[in-house]
Amino acid sequence: MTPSPATTPEPVLQVRGLSTRFHTGRGTVRAVDDVSFDVRRGETLGLVGESGSGKSVTAMSLLNLVRKPGHVEAGEIRFRGRDILAMSDRELRGIRGNGLSMVFQDPMSSLNPIMRIGDQIVEAIHGKGRTTPSQARERAVRLMELVGIPDPTLRLSDYPHRFSGGMRQRVMIAMALANEPDVIIADEPTTALDVTVQAQILDILGDINRRLGTAIILITHNLGVVARSCDRVAVMYAGRIVEQARTAELFASPRHPYTQALLAATPRLLASRSQALMPIEGQPPNLIDVPPGCAFAPRCRFADATCRQQSPPTTDFGERSFACWRTAGGAALPDISRSSVRPLTVLPRTQTGPSSIARPEPGPGDPPNLLEVRDLVVRFAMPSAA
Amino acid sequence: MKNQAHAPRVATVRPSAPDSALRRGLRRPRTLVGLVIVAVCVVLGLLAPVLSPYSPLDQSFGALQRLSLAHPLGTDELGRDLLARVLYGIRVDVVVAVFAIPIGALLGCSLGMLSANDRWYGTLLQRTFDLMLAFTALVMGMLIAALVGSGMPAVILTVALVNVPLFGRITRSAVMGQLSRDYAVAAQVLGVSRARLMLRHILPNSVDALIVQAALSFSMAVFIEGAMSFVGIGVRPPDPSLGSTLKASINFLGQVPAYSLAPMVVVTLLVLGFNLVSDGLNQALLKR
Repeated sequence: MTPSPATTPEPVLQVRGLSTRFHTGRGTVRAVDDVSFDVRRGETLGLVGESGSGKSVTAMSLLNLVRKPGHVEAGEIRFRGRDILAMSDRELRGIRGNGLSMVFQDPMSSLNPIMRIGDQIVEAIHGKGRTTPSQARERAVRLMELVGIPDPTLRLSDYPHRFSGGMRQRVMIAMALANEPDVIIADEPTTALDVTVQAQILDILGDINRRLGTAIILITHNLGVVARSCDRVAVMYAGRIVEQARTAELFASPRHPYTQALLAATPRLLASRSQALMPIEGQPPNLIDVPPGCAFAPRCRFADATCRQQSPPTTDFGERSFACWRTAGGAALPDISRSSVRPLTVLPRTQTGPSSIARPEPGPGDPPNLLEVRDLVVRFAMPSAA
Repeated sequence: MKNQAHAPRVATVRPSAPDSALRRGLRRPRTLVGLVIVAVCVVLGLLAPVLSPYSPLDQSFGALQRLSLAHPLGTDELGRDLLARVLYGIRVDVVVAVFAIPIGALLGCSLGMLSANDRWYGTLLQRTFDLMLAFTALVMGMLIAALVGSGMPAVILTVALVNVPLFGRITRSAVMGQLSRDYAVAAQVLGVSRARLMLRHILPNSVDALIVQAALSFSMAVFIEGAMSFVGIGVRPPDPSLGSTLKASINFLGQVPAYSLAPMVVVTLLVLGFNLVSDGLNQALLKR
């Protein structure tokens, strides 16, 4: 490990050699394998990878909340210098919510359905004591304002079913923020939401990150989200971090073939039509018996005999690290986007008369409408502001 | 079809209450019928001193009378008014249920939660529950009657004890189901203590299954009291009870068939009523 330059702030969270396994009847699943990364004060770290690459298990490991039959087998998670894995339950409760907090993927199921929103936020605040009920309520209102919930005082006494998905995710963020943690882990916080709401939630997280200096670990499979929100990115594949870099560098010059393939498979709004998307062939390996060598080798266009036999070590260049035999010496990967390997054919848009929106009036021979909606207005009666 | 300018009709949606599943359950026809049956029986039982002109212990009437205006259900072999005995008998069941079920439910829920939280205790308790469930209520009743003597305390103790494993299992499975839900994990991530998580989050969310079981337990209480009194280890002789009245009537089935009718019908109605309530709630609360 090279010592970090003096200009970068000291890491608030240091993960070293984290390995989490699940012992199942069919064998041991290596869900997280020798993962190391740092989270510095006030930065946003993206954790990217496809489903099953170990992102969420990594997150749960950070809070020591991995469920049976899983357990953290090896490694060290230093939070403000102390190892989380060696803490007692009592110490852990002190850290959870207080130092390390989390926002989950599905806001629809992350709130207790039969408890008022206000009580749930107050509980998150109160969990640590030292506040009177009225102080806690005031703080709950301020938190709800902070995450952009309109009429916070009124909405305190609502139940979760009266909140939309985006609003619930705001509540979850408010709860995660309740005790001003140093790090918030956001596990796919926008995956279950509408595209327009996704942007709002990301903005709120970004805002919190800038204004309160809260470090954020943003877990996602969406490279667009990474590009807009993250300072640094760690790419996970088959339970390992295969590449870590500053966001701009990663996008400009990926050093791991998987990162490169991932970028080539992502549609971009501004890309020219002729630039075809490149799917990654094959499937990620079964984590019960991972083949020897690089886990990505079977799908890698650059793999050779070494790749298939020996697991590549992580080459560390300070800000940047990657685990690939081919680029270990510092060589760049050949550009694949211009090579014409299996490009998807982009069909010209067909012209089929007027669009369906400007449909002509139905003639006498047309079937009757099944459902007609005209001037529908639905209003919700809210309790008047007291 | 031309799109005329309609004046918009405004629909105002009043937000529904969060406990609407329970209300839906209570509004089901099945539940309503059950509730009416149970309510009528229980009210008759509670109003026994008002409704019945005679004491259930008064032996001053002619033995084994047939139905008459003075004694609508006739009299038993000792010349006691049967209407009085049946009405007071319902009271006995109400007392048994009201004392025994809360005890059994409380004990069962506590042990169930404990067994959902600790692997070792969990295994031990679940195997103990298996053992308890292997005994039928009547065998359990005999055991308890042998230990504490027959009578009301034995009946209450039996009903309570029979309910412990039932509530224990249901609580355990409901708690384990809730524990794996996202909100439970989220609460833990936010540093909520285990005890608070259990009592404020998990238990209130598990209550549906417990309500259904409670309704079923009431029907079981009536049944167990009847069975224990029938075999002579329940309510002691001079005191009225549906079970002992039924038992006595068996000897006179040939002579006075009407004798056995009233206690039989009341026991059946009570059991049926509680079962209907339980079933109706079950459909609304637990079948998703």
